[in-house]
Amino acid sequence: MPVSATNWADEVDGEDQPQSFTDANGITTTIEYKTNEDGKKVKVTRRTQKKLIHDVVNKAAAARKKWPKFGKEKGKPAGPDSATTNVGDNIKLKLSSTGQIVQEVDEKHEAMKQQLQNKKILCRICKGDHFTTKCPYKDSLGMEDAGSSSTPAAEEAAPEEQQPGGKYVAPHMRAGAAGPKDRDSMREKRDEQPTLRVTNLSEDVTEADVSELFSRFGHMSRVFLARDRETNICKGFAFVSFTMREDAQRALEAIDGRGYDNLILRVEWAK
Amino acid sequence: MPSSLSLQGKLRGERPILLQGHERSLTQIKYNREGDLLFSVSKDHVVNVWFSHNGERLGTYDGHVGAVWTVDVNSTSTLLVSGSADNTAKLWDVSNGKCLKSWEFNTAVRCVKFSEDNKRVLLVTEPRMGYPATLQIFHVENGLTESVSSEPLADFHPEGSKITVAAWGPLDKYIVVGRENGSVALMDPETGKYISTNTVHELTLTDLQMSADRTYFITASKDKSAKIVETESLEVLKTYITDTPLNSAAIMPKVQEFVVVGGGQEAMDVTRTSSRQGKFECRFWHKILEEEVGRVRGHFGPINTIAIHPDGRSFASGGEDGYVRVHHFDDDFFSFKFQI
Repeated sequence: MPVSATNWADEVDGEDQPQSFTDANGITTTIEYKTNEDGKKVKVTRRTQKKLIHDVVNKAAAARKKWPKFGKEKGKPAGPDSATTNVGDNIKLKLSSTGQIVQEVDEKHEAMKQQLQNKKILCRICKGDHFTTKCPYKDSLGMEDAGSSSTPAAEEAAPEEQQPGGKYVAPHMRAGAAGPKDRDSMREKRDEQPTLRVTNLSEDVTEADVSELFSRFGHMSRVFLARDRETNICKGFAFVSFTMREDAQRALEAIDGRGYDNLILRVEWAK
Repeated sequence: MPSSLSLQGKLRGERPILLQGHERSLTQIKYNREGDLLFSVSKDHVVNVWFSHNGERLGTYDGHVGAVWTVDVNSTSTLLVSGSADNTAKLWDVSNGKCLKSWEFNTAVRCVKFSEDNKRVLLVTEPRMGYPATLQIFHVENGLTESVSSEPLADFHPEGSKITVAAWGPLDKYIVVGRENGSVALMDPETGKYISTNTVHELTLTDLQMSADRTYFITASKDKSAKIVETESLEVLKTYITDTPLNSAAIMPKVQEFVVVGGGQEAMDVTRTSSRQGKFECRFWHKILEEEVGRVRGHFGPINTIAIHPDGRSFASGGEDGYVRVHHFDDDFFSFKFQI
């Protein structure tokens, strides 16, 4: 049976014709149908507005615009060539009457320099001016003290610079760096609870051990120890969520790099 | 005339246009009188010409075999003259890139300038290998129709410190020269004798650009300052002191009473410090009040040359980094009023 022209399938096909109409505001809407790379039909709607910009130019300059290109550009079509002409980043010229063109970045840089100049070596345990490893109270005070000393200074100064044989601390993690503050605040927004990731735990560690280790820094909302599903032994890492960010920060500073069950713990902000 | 290029609207007042037609550091850039063309020369032997409104390259003037130090265009944009380290200066047809004349010298050509009446061109050659510095004037009128003389109208051997920059004074009555010892001098174009001199800078002059009416000019110097000097008396009118050696200074002819200066630490020292310390910015100073009003960064090498569009709506800078950056000013710039 011959298919008539009024077949419904044909009517659908008829829709595939590109449409174009202009509204009262001079905005032209063009609707096109095309097949994308997945073989699916997509509808493309474009709204364009043509604006004619009149520019008054010198007669001689207008004549020069029609000059054919020459030299290395000979035969090239009109219009800028991306090989030689590009658009740079938007650099705004900010004009000011104060006569002080201050460069805040430079200032920050200088401030940092100043800060580092006055920086002294500070022991994590007794706050004396020596390296933590050289602390005379290392054995007597040890971890207990680090936990209990909840002075704000502990939060600010992790005296890690230049520690001989000590572990590497990324520049943005070092005390005094402007970085971690902003980064942490960003993280805080992402998940409300400040969570620490503790790695390099030994196999024998239990949840209770982890709680005990961190409980001295403040109230914890959650302790999660990753265990092997079958053997039920520790997989070597845990997550600890604190209710207070400051507590978490102190815990991070105190526990990170500490020995625990013959292994050196690594504590960082959970990602 | 309706603007045919869609890029133009996109570019105007927004983002700078980067012209990447050179492989080595820029030595000079220059707008023609209407400002629609921008000529750039660099150490890579090529002379480029661009449409300043959209950064389209119109063409190149090929023929030099050495670093091109200097370029100038006449006021009708028909003739172009360029001076090079290959010991030649060449006269070009602006419209098609044809070399009309090549003058040979004993040493490199450091400065070329058309006279105000377009009839003459002055050329400054370097003292090198026993040859003294010369300042020569050639007749180039009707360069497009008649053959141009190989013999100079005048060939001077200026005494004293080496001339680094030169320009014609008002009505071609004088030649103003800037010298290596930081002095500026007026020279009589007929006799080649100095009429008067004035030491305005402590170190060598790097740039000298005339105001629109040539009654005063701006100088840039390695002593980190730029000065506006009156042509007739060589008296310093204004001083702009910066914190970096300056390579170029230009006077904004319209819109705002500004001057633009640029420079940066010596190219050889660049690798020793960060780009922020290099101070590779174009600095805008209020011409009359001698206050800095703004900066435009972007180059990652010292700025060697600055030119301002004759209508004051855009400016261009060429740097040691091989880029020419064309900035079109935005609306804030035109409405800006300096608060005292």
